[in-house]
Amino acid sequence: MVNDVITAREIDVSVRLGKLELAYPTLMGSGCYGSGEEYAPFVDLSKIGAVVLKSVTRQPRLGNPTPRLVHTPSGMLNAIGLQNPGIEWYLEHDVAKFAQRPCTIIGSVAGFSVDDYAYTCEKLAARNEIKAIELNISCPNVASEGETFACDPNLTANVVRAARATTDKTLIVKLSPNVTDIASIAREAERAGADALAVINTVRGMAIDVDMWRPRLGNVTGGLSGPAIRPIAVLAVYEVARAVKIPIVGQGGIETAGDALEFFLAGASAISIGTANFTDPRVPLRIVDELRAYLAKRGLRSLQQIVGKANVGFANPHQYEGDEG
Amino acid sequence: MPIVSPLATIHNAIVTDRRVLAPGVVLLGFDAPDLVAVTRPGSFVMVVPPSGESAATALGVYEADGRRASILFFVVGKRTEELSRISEGEKIGVVGPLGNGFTIGSERDVAIVAGGVGIASVLLPAQAYVRTGARVRLYYGARTTELLVERERFAHEGCEVLVATDDGSLGHAGYVTSLLAQTDRRPDVILACGPTPMLRAVASVASDMHVPAQLSLEETFACGVGGCWGCVVPIVNTSAQAPSFPPAERNGSDVVYARVCKEGSVFWAHELRW
Repeated sequence: MVNDVITAREIDVSVRLGKLELAYPTLMGSGCYGSGEEYAPFVDLSKIGAVVLKSVTRQPRLGNPTPRLVHTPSGMLNAIGLQNPGIEWYLEHDVAKFAQRPCTIIGSVAGFSVDDYAYTCEKLAARNEIKAIELNISCPNVASEGETFACDPNLTANVVRAARATTDKTLIVKLSPNVTDIASIAREAERAGADALAVINTVRGMAIDVDMWRPRLGNVTGGLSGPAIRPIAVLAVYEVARAVKIPIVGQGGIETAGDALEFFLAGASAISIGTANFTDPRVPLRIVDELRAYLAKRGLRSLQQIVGKANVGFANPHQYEGDEG
Repeated sequence: MPIVSPLATIHNAIVTDRRVLAPGVVLLGFDAPDLVAVTRPGSFVMVVPPSGESAATALGVYEADGRRASILFFVVGKRTEELSRISEGEKIGVVGPLGNGFTIGSERDVAIVAGGVGIASVLLPAQAYVRTGARVRLYYGARTTELLVERERFAHEGCEVLVATDDGSLGHAGYVTSLLAQTDRRPDVILACGPTPMLRAVASVASDMHVPAQLSLEETFACGVGGCWGCVVPIVNTSAQAPSFPPAERNGSDVVYARVCKEGSVFWAHELRW
């Protein structure tokens, strides 16, 4: 029947994360996309869901010594070390510029104590330019404390609860894959008030220069990203989706619509793109076009209809509410 | 130095010519008039790999004239190997021009120092200085004679060319920086591009000579456009050079890490704290 023909343009690819509604399901990963401005010459930013800003901390941070990057098979190791001007300087000099971006801006907060997170989150979330906050409790590249939060269910709960008390805006909690049981951490984050979970941050790794007999990163260890970690990320999303009811932003090595679909089917409501932007800045827009074509071909009207479908048969009933597909 | 990049974009360029200059050294010309129009001496581009399977590669713009720009590169790994297999008529994605580029001033006597593949970033500034009427001398070093590619080209462009080879097969036997140090002619400014140890040596020679030096740095890039802070280098923390950083008294340090791809890739030697 003519009425059943769906054109790709009609497909609804929007997503809701807590109070935040995004027209596109594509977030640009924190630390990979500057503040959006850097990519504006190459990408129509009005066609991406949101930019997650580079993490900001309470105090200025110089960041890690160099080298900070190593290209590795199917990915890269980085150890930037949260270089940022500190929240006060950031609010005074940088945040106002974000209002001019033609896309949603999500702030990212990192810290070294529960109090740090609450302090920085409250200040940043109070700004109109910032539509939601991602709590980066899983940076693997800062001396011990950084990732500790995401490795401990109780610490995760404490940080999320403290940040939750400071703002009503959508709170996304970014989880680490470097844990034994990511589902238990996810449950604590949800219970403490997270609106959504970002799954996953980078996987810890190391590379050694065999001529110089020394680590190839100034920080010794780093975080692995890119297609090398994609199966790890898909599994993490799958496990978290079975443990919580809040939406998941899936991330880890997504380069194509096919990759993105794995995450949606595993239970992610949105995706985040990081390293693939370094290969080709056109990737985020291409993925949305291809997702729409994929859904149109199958007669589906909304991207959210396929979320978690690879979980059929497992306990995740909320994922199927309102499913008419 | 000014940060110029708002005119950068992604060019879908058709490869117009491909030459193997020496074993493992390739020159690719491509049709990109919009890129040529805004390219500055010292600009670089990120070349998107045709397979989409690895990170884009940062390469200096070698030539930029009329509709045609070119890149010149050594095959050193998987990514450059892939680029070396591109043939005429194929399309490549070229992001750029990027970086601040060299500052072309009113100096009358200019020394340009190139090491190996560093030659790829110094033709445009050489041409620009020759056009101003300056005397331009190229100090050009490589491992061996056959890797001193395009040296006749620089002579043809009006540069005096002095060469050095590690194996002594042509010109000065040894590093190009020792050739520079022995010069009979003190230049007004030095421009350099090459491996980091060479650039450090150039900075040291320039300092001894009391001559300002502009260094085009080589670093591992991820994004190449200022988004990831992976390619940084320590520089003196002054607001003029690092507008987006808190001043020293708030940062707790008189050095900051600046992005080679954004605040550079060309820095004055005296700015660097490496």
